[in-house]
Amino acid sequence: MTWRSRAAGLLREPLVHFMIAGALVFAVLSGRPPDTGERRIVVSEAVANRLVERWMQSFRRAPTADEVDGLIRDYVMDQVYYREALRLGLDQDDEVVIRRLRNKMVGLAASDAEAKTPTDAQLQALIDADPARYAAEPLLDFKQVYLGGDTPAARAAAAQALAALQRGEAADALRQPAPIPASFSRAPASEVAAVLGQDFVAGLAKLPVGQWSGPVPSGAGLHLVRIERRDPPPTPRLADVRKRVENDWRSAATQTAVNAAYAKLLDGYDVVIERP
Amino acid sequence: MRGKYALAAALMAGTMLTAGCDRIKQATGGSEVAVAETEFPERVFWGDTHLHTSNSVDAFGFGVRLGPEEALRFARGEEVTATTGMKAKLARPLDFLVIADHAEAMGATKALYDAPRLMIRDERMRRWYDLMHEGPAGSQQAMAELLDARGRNDLPEAMMDADAAAERTQSIWKEHLKTVERYNEPGKFTAFAGFEYTLMQGGNNLHRNVIFRDGIDKVGKVAPIDPTYKETPDEIWNYMEAYEKSTGGKVLAIPHNSNLSNGLMFELTAPGGGPMTAEYAKRRARLEPVVEITQIKGDSEAHPFLSSNDEFAGFGVAGWELNNLLMQEPKKNEMFAGEYVREALKRGLLIEAQTGANPYKFGVIGSTDSHTSLATGDEDNFFGKHSGNEPSATRANEGQNLGTRVGRFGWHYLAGGYAAVWAKANTRAAIWDAMARREVYATTGPRMTVRFFGGWDFKGDDLKGDWVRAGYKRGVPMGGELATKPGARPSFIVSALKDPLGANLDRVQVVKGWVDKAGKAQEKVFDVVWSDMDGQRKAAGGKVPAVGDTVNVATATYQNSIGAPTLATVWSDPEFDPKVRAFYYVRVLEIPTPSWPAFDAVRFKVKLNPEVRVKQQERAYSSAIWYTPTA
Repeated sequence: MTWRSRAAGLLREPLVHFMIAGALVFAVLSGRPPDTGERRIVVSEAVANRLVERWMQSFRRAPTADEVDGLIRDYVMDQVYYREALRLGLDQDDEVVIRRLRNKMVGLAASDAEAKTPTDAQLQALIDADPARYAAEPLLDFKQVYLGGDTPAARAAAAQALAALQRGEAADALRQPAPIPASFSRAPASEVAAVLGQDFVAGLAKLPVGQWSGPVPSGAGLHLVRIERRDPPPTPRLADVRKRVENDWRSAATQTAVNAAYAKLLDGYDVVIERP
Repeated sequence: MRGKYALAAALMAGTMLTAGCDRIKQATGGSEVAVAETEFPERVFWGDTHLHTSNSVDAFGFGVRLGPEEALRFARGEEVTATTGMKAKLARPLDFLVIADHAEAMGATKALYDAPRLMIRDERMRRWYDLMHEGPAGSQQAMAELLDARGRNDLPEAMMDADAAAERTQSIWKEHLKTVERYNEPGKFTAFAGFEYTLMQGGNNLHRNVIFRDGIDKVGKVAPIDPTYKETPDEIWNYMEAYEKSTGGKVLAIPHNSNLSNGLMFELTAPGGGPMTAEYAKRRARLEPVVEITQIKGDSEAHPFLSSNDEFAGFGVAGWELNNLLMQEPKKNEMFAGEYVREALKRGLLIEAQTGANPYKFGVIGSTDSHTSLATGDEDNFFGKHSGNEPSATRANEGQNLGTRVGRFGWHYLAGGYAAVWAKANTRAAIWDAMARREVYATTGPRMTVRFFGGWDFKGDDLKGDWVRAGYKRGVPMGGELATKPGARPSFIVSALKDPLGANLDRVQVVKGWVDKAGKAQEKVFDVVWSDMDGQRKAAGGKVPAVGDTVNVATATYQNSIGAPTLATVWSDPEFDPKVRAFYYVRVLEIPTPSWPAFDAVRFKVKLNPEVRVKQQERAYSSAIWYTPTA
């Protein structure tokens, strides 16, 4: 039995795997970088497997023995150059290395936050801090008669039309044809605003309930309006806006986590800014 | 039914509810919340089906650093910080968004940007790496060179490593779908899964956006593909059919920028020559029910060369009519016919007459194709084609060429393109279904409401009653089809309302196309209703006088003292021949308004070059209604 086959046999020993894995875990968990001064490069079975796996993802077949040798040679070359480069300090002042590592650190902090699930209490707190943002939109219930563009003539005609409606005459005869629904029921305010504009929605707030009034100006012209019902302003309920609050929470939590992680790291440094 | 509705209402908890109608169905839109669908489409939903983020190879190269999450937040109406540092917010939120990042080399420029420089062996890639790290100007230069190489099939081999690309695409796609799912809120805001399939013959644009009806449970089983062969769309159609078969989901594709295809988008023959088969035509019509007719890189409705009698043809063709996408082959006149939508609709009739199937029976939408993660289509809030031309003092005058040649300038870009969809609810299912049945229309940015119904017995009096219900009951909406009715003449309800924040309307036109007895395709534009038509603007000699012009370029303002806020009529075709196949679509013109360079000139106090377009008549295009005689 040559030393080589003995070594190979050893590499197949589960106990050895366990020890190597343990050492790796220790190295990672202890937070120390691998000792770059270490002049021993171990190509463990785990490392070889990883190289082979990555290769197979690209080529969709198992590598030949020669190709495995090539992969291992390349890995060793990577390690030698990497360690020597670090020893020579080539990573210092290399903007790409610096930016890349910074990105990785930020990514680590961010991915923690992205994986977290907020509690209902956390989400509720977010709603309580800005209820207006999460409030369900007011639902509007009204009928409208479109009178055409906002001209002096239309304004003059509006009074007559209003009187007719208040006498109970049919609305359809007074209406100008336009792709505007004659009645809106349980319509979110934003939906009304999309057709008639925000000013029109604001104008509805002042009108009495249950009777024809107006004219109310919109982006399209003048309208006579009959409010059918008006609810008290809705309060936000978590169940209705969970998705939105959760997105806001996650987007803020990620930023906070990144900032906090940096602040903690920064805490371990004395930063001296020398002024001329 | 009542019980079902009650359940839907309880689940809905005050989200999507619309005006006066019975709610007879509920649909889940691929998500867990049930949303009621209205009996017929009652409101129009606004969206962008074509937005790029930092995951797109060219968008990142051009400088954008905002990703899908920012894109979705922005479309929903949130304020975000644009790549160049400005705050950006839409005047009004959109109702839906399709992020359509290029499948091709998804994330590749970002990977190149992030790569250690030492590891980049290819000389050109290293040059692009350095340029990108220099800043925005360098980034644009790198991108121009990269795209030019792409058009010549001359990309560095290292960038074409298919396996590395597939791996990168997979991991980006999975992350992306999660984000899309998080922002999809049935009833409130619809986020679609989709991607762009960048099919290109040389520099000829045959691009398609692929849009899924389904959520992550189905779409997560596939990954976007990029074209491996460059001649025909068969590959993407195979992919789409395989997706539908294996997942039970649904997917459609929307071709765009036919204006940059050098005649190849809407051919009369099969791709590569030879007669088009009925199978090809049917397949295309089924998988591609909608075409993007207008966007930032020009408008593809009609070209003056093809439609010489149409005084309003040629909107937004300046700059784009010179060449193909990558400016690698100058355009010849005979190419226009394969590039413009009106001509394609006519060719569809011709092919149908010969084969029995119409490959070009499609609806139309507009979208931005913005590469900034910001779906901006308003003239006064335009964030440009890509991050290299976000608002700045010089962008309107500057050369903005893809590729490295001359000929296109910043002002050639149009602020615009939105998709309007008559759907029964704001859900993936309802909006996608409306696209599939072509009940959609395009605008060049403003949000006009446009209704269009075709039928056999519509009369002027119909406009006095509940004409929308009548339209659906006694006719078909835009995108629909009419079959022969003996002794009758088709009539159409047309109604348009101005954008509530925008300009008055000049006129509404019906564009008719048909195949005459000699087998030749014909077209005619009818002015059917316009502002002040019984007063100052009485038609003389068949011509409607111009609406006028209130634009003050110096202040980038206009007055709604001309035009009308709304225009409606019932029109019947005076030249109808029951034996002749035909299509009808509506074009709505606004009064003249300032274009985005005029707003830039005021904002940045700069002088524009004399050739720069400073005003225009923005417009909406409806999908057509087709008439097919019964054999």
